[in-house]
Amino acid sequence: MNPLRKPFRLTLLFSFWLLLAGGSLDAAEKGPQGVQLHIGTILASNESDEFDPKLSKMKNQLEVIKYRSYRLVKEASQKVPWNGNAVFEISGGRTLHVMPQEFRNNRISLKVRLQEGEKPLLDTTVRIRNRGNFLLGGPAHDGGVLILSISAMTQ
Amino acid sequence: MKTDCAAIESLLGAWLDGELDRPDVERVGTHVQGCPSCLKTKERLEQLQASLKDVLGAEAARLPFDPFWNGVSRRILEKRAWHTPIREWWASTLYPQRLAWAIPMVIVFLLGVLSLEQFFPGWRWGSSPGNAAAVDSIDGHGLNVAVFRESKTKTTVIWLFENQEDENESAEEAVSTDTSF
Repeated sequence: MNPLRKPFRLTLLFSFWLLLAGGSLDAAEKGPQGVQLHIGTILASNESDEFDPKLSKMKNQLEVIKYRSYRLVKEASQKVPWNGNAVFEISGGRTLHVMPQEFRNNRISLKVRLQEGEKPLLDTTVRIRNRGNFLLGGPAHDGGVLILSISAMTQ
Repeated sequence: MKTDCAAIESLLGAWLDGELDRPDVERVGTHVQGCPSCLKTKERLEQLQASLKDVLGAEAARLPFDPFWNGVSRRILEKRAWHTPIREWWASTLYPQRLAWAIPMVIVFLLGVLSLEQFFPGWRWGSSPGNAAAVDSIDGHGLNVAVFRESKTKTTVIWLFENQEDENESAEEAVSTDTSF
């Protein structure tokens, strides 16, 4: 037997193992166990020109809403399993229910409900990029409006 | 003693070639002096070695050694160009057996590239760094709702007109300036 063939066999075995390992890595990526949800509650108003430095990373996102003042009122995070329901208390007696539904093509599908007491205000299903966010705004509060930044990241 | 003789005979070849440690040399020497059987074996081995040496010596004398040695010494003494080692290394790298490792290397590289997205989202060339979300369904439960997209980061904004009286100009302006329904 040609001893030079041994490295070839080793290489082939190693390549096969790498492909298997890569496949399992890919499978693991497709099956995250849950989602880390992060909700930032921002109060936008025209009462001052204050821009909360904590929101500097969101400046571009908020500019389009055309208020003069933006202040981060509250931040909250929760880890939720798929199809689990995360409830966030929002200023003004409102609650935000977020239910992550599925993860496909690097996008997380979220079912979101905003309600005031028992009265539903909004129901929506949104697909956002993993680690991305979207804004939900409009509810009046304290002389301005609330803007919720809803972001999600697979775990 | 038979066991001793067997052990000593197995060491005789190495003993005659001077390959043993000092304690073994002494042990074998002492034994051979006092054991006629092993002494005979030793003499036979010595005769065999002498015969082989004679035959090989005679054969070697007939071979043209000078051209061989001249070639060796020329290669030792010749001055190599600076790029020769690099060329030799490159040639050896392209040797099929070594080239075979390119397969797992390519796999490792591809896995690394694919994993990068997990750690550095949006790094890929040509991909939009946008944050656009897709709104599959929306129900304002009787309230007006607008969906628009912020132009710089492509962030999706859902705007709920909770109270028609509270609709201020700013929100209206926002919706009308950059709509992407």
